[in-house]
Amino acid sequence: MIGPLGHTLVLVGLAACTLGTVTGVVAGLRKHDGALRWTRWMAYIFAASMVGATGLMELALLTHDFSVAYVAEVGSRASPTWVSVVSLWSSLNGSILLWGLVLGVYIGLFAWKTRDRFPEHTPWALAVCMGVGVFFTFLIAGVANPFAPVSPVPADGPGPNALLQNHILMIIHPPTLYIGYVGMTVPFGMAAAALLAGRLDAAWSRALRRWTLIPWGALSFGIVLGGWWSYEVLGWGGWWAWDPVENASFLPWLTATAYLHSAMIMERREHLKGWTLSLVLSTFLLTILGTFMTRSGVFNSVHSFTQSPIGPVFLGFLGIAMVFSLVLLAARLDTLTRADKALPGPASREVMFLANNLLFASFELVVLFGTLWPLVNEALTDTQISVGAPYFDTMTAPIGLAIVFLMGVGPALPWGAASGQTLRERLLWPVLVGLAVAAVVGISGVRNPWIVLTLGTAAFALVVTLREMWEPAWGRSKALGESLPVAAGQVFVRARRRYGGYIVHLGVIFIAVAHPVATAYGEKEHLTFPVDQPREVLGYELTFLGSEWQEQPHRKSMVATFEVSEGSTFLGEMAPRLNHYKSMRQPIGTPVVKSGLDQDLYLSLVQVDEAAGTASLEVRVLPLVWWLWAGGILMLLGTIVAAWPSRRSSAAAARAPQAAQAAAGK
Amino acid sequence: MAMNWKILLGGAVLVVPLVAVLASGFGSDPRGSSNALEGQRASDFALESLDGDRIALADLAGGPVVINFWATWCQPCLAEHPILLEGARRYKARGVTFLGVLYDDDAELARRYVGKHGAAFPTLLDPGNHVAIDYGVVGVPETFFLDQRGRVFKKHTGPLDFQTMVETLEILLSAETG
Repeated sequence: MIGPLGHTLVLVGLAACTLGTVTGVVAGLRKHDGALRWTRWMAYIFAASMVGATGLMELALLTHDFSVAYVAEVGSRASPTWVSVVSLWSSLNGSILLWGLVLGVYIGLFAWKTRDRFPEHTPWALAVCMGVGVFFTFLIAGVANPFAPVSPVPADGPGPNALLQNHILMIIHPPTLYIGYVGMTVPFGMAAAALLAGRLDAAWSRALRRWTLIPWGALSFGIVLGGWWSYEVLGWGGWWAWDPVENASFLPWLTATAYLHSAMIMERREHLKGWTLSLVLSTFLLTILGTFMTRSGVFNSVHSFTQSPIGPVFLGFLGIAMVFSLVLLAARLDTLTRADKALPGPASREVMFLANNLLFASFELVVLFGTLWPLVNEALTDTQISVGAPYFDTMTAPIGLAIVFLMGVGPALPWGAASGQTLRERLLWPVLVGLAVAAVVGISGVRNPWIVLTLGTAAFALVVTLREMWEPAWGRSKALGESLPVAAGQVFVRARRRYGGYIVHLGVIFIAVAHPVATAYGEKEHLTFPVDQPREVLGYELTFLGSEWQEQPHRKSMVATFEVSEGSTFLGEMAPRLNHYKSMRQPIGTPVVKSGLDQDLYLSLVQVDEAAGTASLEVRVLPLVWWLWAGGILMLLGTIVAAWPSRRSSAAAARAPQAAQAAAGK
Repeated sequence: MAMNWKILLGGAVLVVPLVAVLASGFGSDPRGSSNALEGQRASDFALESLDGDRIALADLAGGPVVINFWATWCQPCLAEHPILLEGARRYKARGVTFLGVLYDDDAELARRYVGKHGAAFPTLLDPGNHVAIDYGVVGVPETFFLDQRGRVFKKHTGPLDFQTMVETLEILLSAETG
């Protein structure tokens, strides 16, 4: 029963999207209120149908209804409840349904939030978003139908991919990434709407930024969570490998980040409208490209799902979306860019933002080129190659460093041209601190010039960021005689967007320091431990206490327990394991990590020889890894602070269209 | 409505080749199924090892040979290294030879890595990746199991696990005695 019902709901969603696209275009062309109302209702129906269909799929997974194709593919009676729930995104067709759900909820929310605003832009934005919805509901209803009937109905299923069952982070990593990925559809619709309507005013720009900020934050956090998951689960002691699928999530992040910065010039100076809109459009196109990479089987990656027929369909959609964006830009850009004013002198925040955008664009090209090169090469020479981490590391390290440097210079400079006097005042102390840190690091024996440069630059950016956060509070407290906490609270509330940005910058500084240091100074030893004989490894003392098999319904695990101490301090027991799943021949290790502020102790079990009573272990000591995750959390936190709706800005946005109409003499 | 042809043409220059390249990928499987090699005589080679010894595959006939293509920039390769070391130690007495072949990497980096993590078997330098190309290596790590008569018995793509290695070698060795 669930199967046909779910499929029907998807078809309802498809119909609603199709109709909504048509009525949206009519409303946009004719400025027809009735058509706009219809479009909104179609958006709500689409959202409801996706919520309903996903709910039914969850129900089918939880009740082990193996007559539903997707449940037969990934379900298992042995799976714990949480595994059944997250099975929704463990395989291709379920994850596309999740895509539909997130898209539906976003479009529904967008229709609701803009219900009494932006009458000029909303119909176009909704039409474009629902046009995207047509494609995805079409996929879910047809090629990737998770509700297809199965006959004969199997008694039990194989359970989802074992890697997915291995760690709790898998519950939040894929949905977070989807909230980021799919969420870029709304900004795409909004940017297209600005071009279609031929007008990009301040209110629409602000709304566009807010609707980008939320998926951007989710994408940032999702990427960090992915690294975290890889670190906690895969046992190779790393978090980022420049795998095509990792790059797929990073590419739209780069353009979206560039957009968030160029948006500030656009809003303030009416500069770079074409460039800024292109960044928004590209971000969406890159999410589709990224999904194509994951889903098409064209790229070789640890993440990719198996070969599937949806590849060509996706490529077709990518092609259409690219042509649509391109024609739109070519046809309508000139209607927007008349108001561009000249940029001020080189020592200004505007120019720093511009430099930032150029750096992000080069970063983008480097990663895109490296990711696509194996395909280009194969097309031209018919040989298969892989582009490895050395290319990406070598090419991106200087760009990353320059971006961190600008993170210090940009906020330190005022808007408009700065005098030499101002420059000295704003930059002297941060530069001195940066140089001092670099000198101390260099003297303390660090010979790697990149690390010295990175730490110095990060210290410089850190001083600027903290000063930018601190100074306004201090200034207000002195000027108004408020106590410092009260002044800080007031300043924070009044400039939340800016403070959010600085919190994000702090997170980026954490990551910019931790990633290279942990990569360069991680140490690893491979040892075999006889029972009860303590051994010294990388500054720790480890004793193998013994091993045992643990049985769970969905897996069998070999658990080896070690006692760990550092110097005279007893740190406790650590028990890395090898999990054997029914569906997989080779065991999957679960490493154990003891995280500290300064370094992590990372144990992964290689093998247990029960007859000999020995355990082989890989021991890693990795500095500062914890700071990567902290950086990710700060980035999410900063985004929430910046995007949180405030009464003032909603009121301002509500006034804006009236003001615009008044100005237009209506 | 005036069309801005510069944007349109510039964009088309980017978009058209991109779509063409992506579409060209459909025909091939990136995981490079090379089952075609299995059962075939393994292509011969003579290469210099990291220590400067010259090792020829032809000289190793008579016992099973495990050839592992790896690189220091490849994390999964480093992850499987201990397993290969263990295998080389265990199966040495039973006449199995383990060989590493460095893939697209700097010999000095490999020497340093092997120096630090142990070398129970020689790693060979393959300038120009000629041997890798002969064996149809798509990406590293890839491991080839050769039988006593120098034929490819099995190819393993991706990091090797202990169990697969032992099972494969036991089958190969029992075929010899049985």
